[in-house]
Amino acid sequence: MAEPIENADPKSTGPGSTVPDDDDEFRSIADAAPIAFWTTSLERKRSFVNRYYVEFLGVDYQTALERDWREIIHPDDYERIVAESLAGEASLKAFTLDGRFRRGDGEWRWLRSKSQPRWNAAGEHIGFVGVANDITETKLADIELREREAKLLALINQGTAGLSQVDLHGRFTMVNDRFCEISGWSREELLERTMQSITHPHDLGQNISLFNDLVRDGVPYSHEKRYVRSDGRIAWVNNSAALVRDSEDRPVGSICVTLDVTQRREDEAALRKSEESIRLAVESAGMATWELDLDTMEGVWSANRFDLLGLPRRTDGRGSVDDWLARIHPEDVRRVREAAYACFEQGTPFQIEYRILRADTGEERWLQSHASRIIVGDEGDLRFVAVSFDITHRRQAEAELRASEIRFRTIFEEANDYIITCDLEQRITSVNPAVVSALGHPESEIIGRSVGDFLAPEQFDVAGKLLQHKLDHGGATRYSIRIQTRDGSELVWEINSRLTYDPDGAPIGLQAIARDVTESKRFELHQRLLIDELNHRVKNTLAIVQGIAQQTFRDPGVPLAARKAFEGRLAALAEAHDLLTRELWSPVSIRKVMADAMSPHCDGQRCHIEGPDLPLEPKTAISLALAMHELATNAVKHGALSNDTGTVDIRWDKVRDESGLRLKLSWTEAGGPPVSVPNRRGFGTRMIERGLAVELGGTVRIMFPREGVRCEVDAPLPDMEA
Amino acid sequence: MGRKILIVEDEPVVAMCLEDMLLDFGCTVIGPASRLADGLVLAEAEDADAAILDVNLGGERSDPIAGVLRARGIPYIFATGYGAAANIGSDVPLVCKPYCEEQVRSALERVLTL
Repeated sequence: MAEPIENADPKSTGPGSTVPDDDDEFRSIADAAPIAFWTTSLERKRSFVNRYYVEFLGVDYQTALERDWREIIHPDDYERIVAESLAGEASLKAFTLDGRFRRGDGEWRWLRSKSQPRWNAAGEHIGFVGVANDITETKLADIELREREAKLLALINQGTAGLSQVDLHGRFTMVNDRFCEISGWSREELLERTMQSITHPHDLGQNISLFNDLVRDGVPYSHEKRYVRSDGRIAWVNNSAALVRDSEDRPVGSICVTLDVTQRREDEAALRKSEESIRLAVESAGMATWELDLDTMEGVWSANRFDLLGLPRRTDGRGSVDDWLARIHPEDVRRVREAAYACFEQGTPFQIEYRILRADTGEERWLQSHASRIIVGDEGDLRFVAVSFDITHRRQAEAELRASEIRFRTIFEEANDYIITCDLEQRITSVNPAVVSALGHPESEIIGRSVGDFLAPEQFDVAGKLLQHKLDHGGATRYSIRIQTRDGSELVWEINSRLTYDPDGAPIGLQAIARDVTESKRFELHQRLLIDELNHRVKNTLAIVQGIAQQTFRDPGVPLAARKAFEGRLAALAEAHDLLTRELWSPVSIRKVMADAMSPHCDGQRCHIEGPDLPLEPKTAISLALAMHELATNAVKHGALSNDTGTVDIRWDKVRDESGLRLKLSWTEAGGPPVSVPNRRGFGTRMIERGLAVELGGTVRIMFPREGVRCEVDAPLPDMEA
Repeated sequence: MGRKILIVEDEPVVAMCLEDMLLDFGCTVIGPASRLADGLVLAEAEDADAAILDVNLGGERSDPIAGVLRARGIPYIFATGYGAAANIGSDVPLVCKPYCEEQVRSALERVLTL
């Protein structure tokens, strides 16, 4: 406050002032001072006020002298200040007053005044001298500080965090309510104890070491530990401690924020328990589990993991990564190690299959392992968890399947037969090399094309009908179809095809195996021509024989009957022969043989023919046809067919007895003239009884009862059904 | 019967037989011709009432003769050792070798009454 004094003209105070006029030096000092200054006489009147005093009141000097200072006291402070001032004055000692006073501009200011009695040279009390300074700013700062402290205190005492302070020996010097609550001790009890005394013995060593580091190096720490409460229960806490220093920077103790983590710990324990149940379930499914502490590279293994690797179970149930890697097959270990470390280090989960050599037997087994790195808890701790199980059987089955696939693939690739698959629209989906070489198109021009593109005209309709047949009735079809190759030539393929189905049983396509029958078809045709030619020649020869006979028999000495009999026998032979020709010398139907043999001799009304259809060998058919011709001729000439009423009944059956399947055939005449036993057996009878019996390998008997001729045939049949 | 029948047959014994049969029936025989060319000449030149043609004449088919006869409105029957397998029109009667009198007679009667 080096401001020049302007209005403070001491002269203006005029005569009558109690301040000595000669005391100019004192006055100027007083006026320059940045505090209020005054003197009071015994009758409580101001005898001197300084410039600051005047300016505070905002009045002139005289008014300032006369103004009663009590008028400007704040109403809230008034009583107190008045009382204190009276007491102070009465004591005749120095006294201090603090309070609010109204400044000239109307603002309330905190002033602190100090008054003390004045004495004259004679030692008589003559009044008081006082100074007052404006302490408003200090006061406000003080109030603010108090408010802040109050807030802080509230914060300290509010619920969540416990706060405690200990000295260098660990003695509690401050605790808040929450800390008391968490630790289970009252404030009074705590302030008589050390933090060591309430810490769980298991956690103490680590705690002390952390505390010592804090004191020595100022390293703050946080850790989890247990307090033993006064009731003996355990409280799990998370503590964060920091060093407290005094104003000279010397460590004096530590302040600690305490969080109650008992609940979280319990939750974790519960979680571990449920994890344990899951683990047990997993292990009972044959899966081995293991965990790994990524700091030590070892961890808890399930008991069956030791078994899986052929290692003895360890009492601590722990195993290391190296224990595991040591068991892996040398050819797989590198791959497995890379996958595992990618998981440990980058967190890449893996699922791998690899071989191990069991530690106990050296046996090679296949394992599959799944593993992930997981983050645990709020601190982001990393844990590695994995399951492994034995997949040796599955691998073996797969290997067998692959081998069988290779076998089938080889068949597919190497077969001379044509193997084709197509979808239900008859678009080709695969062909084997035989198809490619037969069609002359490259495979790329075959796959995806319609089957019809490779068939001769009109054959696609046939294929379509056959497909529809399979769709309607299931099963397989076998048919010959004409194929068109790239160079335009035609092949005949005999195709066996069946539908393929998806796992739900819905048809999804066709698979076909075909064989080239072009040559055999050609051969068949050729053979047919040959047989026709042979037949023609045989017939022509028979015609010539007939002609020769006819010319011979024209001799008048030969009876007509003989010529007719010869012609008939020749015709029967030709007839049977013709049947065989039609059937291409393959087995023929007994019904046809019978019908052809009888048709020249009688109609259906007089001849009853009945029996199951059976195939007959060509030679047998000829013998039987000739036999029937002889019987019929005889019947026409002498027997049942020689009059208008007789009948012939021909029936046969297939009978199974102990010797196998047999043919039983009977010829029975009725209604003809009475039969007499011939005294000599003619050509016909002998041919039937001997020729047919030999041919059939059975017995043939002809009987001549009066009512009509009978013939019975009993012959073994080739057991075609067996 | 008293008709004129053309015989075309390459096998002499068979032709002879057929000739005898026809004579027995009271027919007059034209031929027999044993080759295609001879048969064609007779078929064109002679006024036969009917004809019996062997299908195969020494390796040649007798169809051209049948064509001439058909054109002239002369009925005919085929005779063959090929049996029913012989490839001929279904409207023409067929007798299969070896044949007997009855077969030949009934076939002839059928074509002559048409």
